[in-house]
Amino acid sequence: MSKKKTKNDALYLSDRQPLTTAKLISLVISYILLILWAFVILWPLAQIVISSFNGNQGSYISIGGDYKFSLKHFNYLFNETYFWNWVTNTIFIAVATALLTLLIVSFTGYAYSRFRFSGRKASLMTIMLLQTVPTFAGITAFYTLHSIIAAVIPGFTRQLFLILIYAGGGIASNTFILKGYIDGVSTELDDAARIDGCGNLQVYRLIIMPIARPMLAIIALWSFIGPFLDYMMPSILLNDPKSYTLATGLHTLINDQYNMQQPAFAAGGLLTAIPIVILFIALQKELVSGLSSGAVKG
Amino acid sequence: MKYGTTVLDDIGNAHPRKNLRLRERGVLEERLEEADKSERAAIRAELRALPKKADHPYEKDLQSVRDQEKKLLQGARERRQKFLSEIKDKDPKIRSWLLEAAESEERYRFYEKHLDLSYDFELEYKKHFDIADQLPAAAAERRALLDELDEAQADLKKAQTEDNSAAKAEFEEFRVQRIAERDAEKAKLKQMRHDGIISAKALANEQKMSDLAADEDIKSKKRSLPLAFAKDRVRNIRHKLKIDAARKEKLLNADISDQRRRTPIETNKRFPWISWLTILLPGLGQLIIGQRLKSIFFFLGSLYIYLIAIPYSLGYGNYRGDGIAGLLSLAEGGARLDRSIIFMIEGVIAVILLVLALLLYYFSFRDVHRNEKKEIKGIRLNNWFETRSSLKVDGFPFIVSAPAALVTIFIVILPIAVTILISFTNYDPTHQSKFVWQGLVNFKQIVAGQGIAGGPFWLITGWTIVWTLLATSLAIFIGFALALLVNQDRVLGKRFFRTIYLLPWAVPAFITIMFFSILFSPQGPLTIALNNLLGNTNPADMLNIKHTTWGTRAVLIMLQGWLGSSYIFLLCTGILQGISKDLYEAAEIDGATGFQQTRHITIPLLLYQTAPLMIGQYTFNFNNFSIIYLFNGGGPFEPSKYGNMAGTTDILISYIYKLTIQNQYQGIGSAITVVVSMFIMFVTWIGFSRTKSFKEEKL
Repeated sequence: MSKKKTKNDALYLSDRQPLTTAKLISLVISYILLILWAFVILWPLAQIVISSFNGNQGSYISIGGDYKFSLKHFNYLFNETYFWNWVTNTIFIAVATALLTLLIVSFTGYAYSRFRFSGRKASLMTIMLLQTVPTFAGITAFYTLHSIIAAVIPGFTRQLFLILIYAGGGIASNTFILKGYIDGVSTELDDAARIDGCGNLQVYRLIIMPIARPMLAIIALWSFIGPFLDYMMPSILLNDPKSYTLATGLHTLINDQYNMQQPAFAAGGLLTAIPIVILFIALQKELVSGLSSGAVKG
Repeated sequence: MKYGTTVLDDIGNAHPRKNLRLRERGVLEERLEEADKSERAAIRAELRALPKKADHPYEKDLQSVRDQEKKLLQGARERRQKFLSEIKDKDPKIRSWLLEAAESEERYRFYEKHLDLSYDFELEYKKHFDIADQLPAAAAERRALLDELDEAQADLKKAQTEDNSAAKAEFEEFRVQRIAERDAEKAKLKQMRHDGIISAKALANEQKMSDLAADEDIKSKKRSLPLAFAKDRVRNIRHKLKIDAARKEKLLNADISDQRRRTPIETNKRFPWISWLTILLPGLGQLIIGQRLKSIFFFLGSLYIYLIAIPYSLGYGNYRGDGIAGLLSLAEGGARLDRSIIFMIEGVIAVILLVLALLLYYFSFRDVHRNEKKEIKGIRLNNWFETRSSLKVDGFPFIVSAPAALVTIFIVILPIAVTILISFTNYDPTHQSKFVWQGLVNFKQIVAGQGIAGGPFWLITGWTIVWTLLATSLAIFIGFALALLVNQDRVLGKRFFRTIYLLPWAVPAFITIMFFSILFSPQGPLTIALNNLLGNTNPADMLNIKHTTWGTRAVLIMLQGWLGSSYIFLLCTGILQGISKDLYEAAEIDGATGFQQTRHITIPLLLYQTAPLMIGQYTFNFNNFSIIYLFNGGGPFEPSKYGNMAGTTDILISYIYKLTIQNQYQGIGSAITVVVSMFIMFVTWIGFSRTKSFKEEKL
């Protein structure tokens, strides 16, 4: 509306106060700062894109030199490395973690929110304490613990163990988040369903789950993204390049002099980043609210 | 415990004793309580003079009735044949109901005559009376439903074979007419919009409503077509038949359990001895007091205790450890291949299994003990129907939380326990296979900053704190500033800037960190550009960020500012958008300048809402392993001050990683982990206890 009216010079009709010189200057400075920071963000990211397509590079990245469009780094990535293994490994771990977390947390969140049972308060306090313990606190034990479990259950790979660690580490905080969310759902709906003959699980499936779906989606999303972002746990547990996740796998491309392939790393980084960036841009509101809803992981 | 003259039922009502033998004793015992010293001896003698159980006339009466009862029960099979021949109905459910009702009638007529003798008979009477009363009615209702089903099916058949073109034509006519009506309505709405009577939004809404209404009408008309109607009816009746039977039986069971709650029981028992005698075998107690199905579950628990928990903690069935004993010995003096760490982990597992076993003992004992006490008071035990329904309410949270508890115990608690234990041992490169307990030596080394591993502890701690404070504060400052700048009233292209500023958060951090690491490497583009800027062309005195401590530290902090500001920015933007515009308008009317508004409205609100999350950001950076390790591997190295294991930019977590994973100083690494974890827990707890979700928790 204001745009239309400002054309009319005779009458100032905007809701806003008129733009004074001082305000104009501060506005210009704001724009300069904003554009400057946008450049600071975009430059390195653009370099990742450019160098992944630049055929005029050997095994090192060079910036500002000659540019020749080529897909040879992608070729190298697909044919000379285990890139597809890393992709499938990461997706497998991420999906399994998300599903396992959802399954476990649905039950605990529901139970803690809707049922009063002995030991509830004590275990809630334990949960709150546990979620402050940093994940790395157990690293010395993980390695040996895995060999013991693997000896008992032969098919128990390191990747499965990783999934258990990711899912197990998230139980406490996710239970707390979901419990808080379900607490906000009126119990009148439950009662109505129970009167109509629903059992506990039916109440969850038919009443609670549809209402809590946004929060469940956030929990699933974060559990899914976690394995994509983590470097430390896979670097401790996984020992075979074929079983690596993307983070540890791509690191091998820049880690030592002999296998150095920086442009291929850029190409792999680009391929990894694109889907995640799209996901983040599309769901930014949900992701931020998920982080700020009381989850404080140490 | 005294017998007393009354017994209590579950609701708390007192009932007079019917067992005359126990009543006599109860009366005397009560008198004994109130009597003077002089009378006591006489009463005691009287008590002793009471007839023995076998000789008591009441017991004799009771026994004779019991014998009759036995006969009655034995006759059940014969009667069954007779009843079955009398029942004409073919439906199996109805047959079984009517059979049960007939038998129950026989029984309640028998028990009716002995109501005064015992509460057991009274209960049997009430129970069978309910059955005989309810089941015939239920059967009749079911019969009616079945007849209705037959009728509906016949109707359906008729509708299927009949010519229904007339009905269809009628429906078609209705449809066309209704659609025409709808279109007319819509045209009228459009006209109203055209005349400016309603808004565009109202028009859209009204049109939608008119569509829906027409759709609804047509659908309901279609449902009332003879064929569709007949089909629906058959389906409805079938469904009703299916759920009705289960509901009727449940209702009957609920009524019976209600009678149980209101009819007391009399036992000879005065002391809950079964629970004490069977404490070592969960399940046996339940079996003895007559809860058979429940006892099966507790027997499974017994199997766990005696086949898994106890053998395991004694060392049988261990992978390579020695149960609890291994936890103490840590494989000391064992075979060459025995590894202390495995002994330790299996020892901890054994402790966990034993704790679970103790819990089982306790719960089983408590269960039997409570039930026995209830019985002594006069309350009847739960039958399986009641146990199951109470399990559904009280047991549900335990059952569904069990997987979570298992995973948490073995994946979270067990490793933490092992880490804590390792910190009290000398687990280091020379003691990889066998290590021993050594008390607080590791902690002393850390505090004193001694030894190969503990030496640089304080230096690293110092840098960790500096790093945490600077990197996080920088990120928070940038994020804050950006949010304030972008969300100014007059800035255009908010969406555009927001999307760009989101990118450092959205691109996986390990990619950007590794890429910056490449850019800053000795031959990296940024290193060259930096030196060109400084005018260093001679390769010998080129400045290399990764080789200078302060250079690396500064770049790390800036990089984290770059990475971390995104999230803060998004968080603040969300909050800024939620601040009511009224506040600013009010401030403006009062004459506040833009700066004053920011200073007195925006910033306080932002800080208030984000403070707990900011604490989370500090702990995050305290543990930010990726950026330190992936950027420069903790380097550059300065062995004279930091020893061989840590670089000058290592923070505690990357130092722990290097100690435990790369250099096998697990003992001291664990000690540092314990100290650091406790510190983080403390800080997180402070942040956490201030969050809304914690404060509002109704525990």
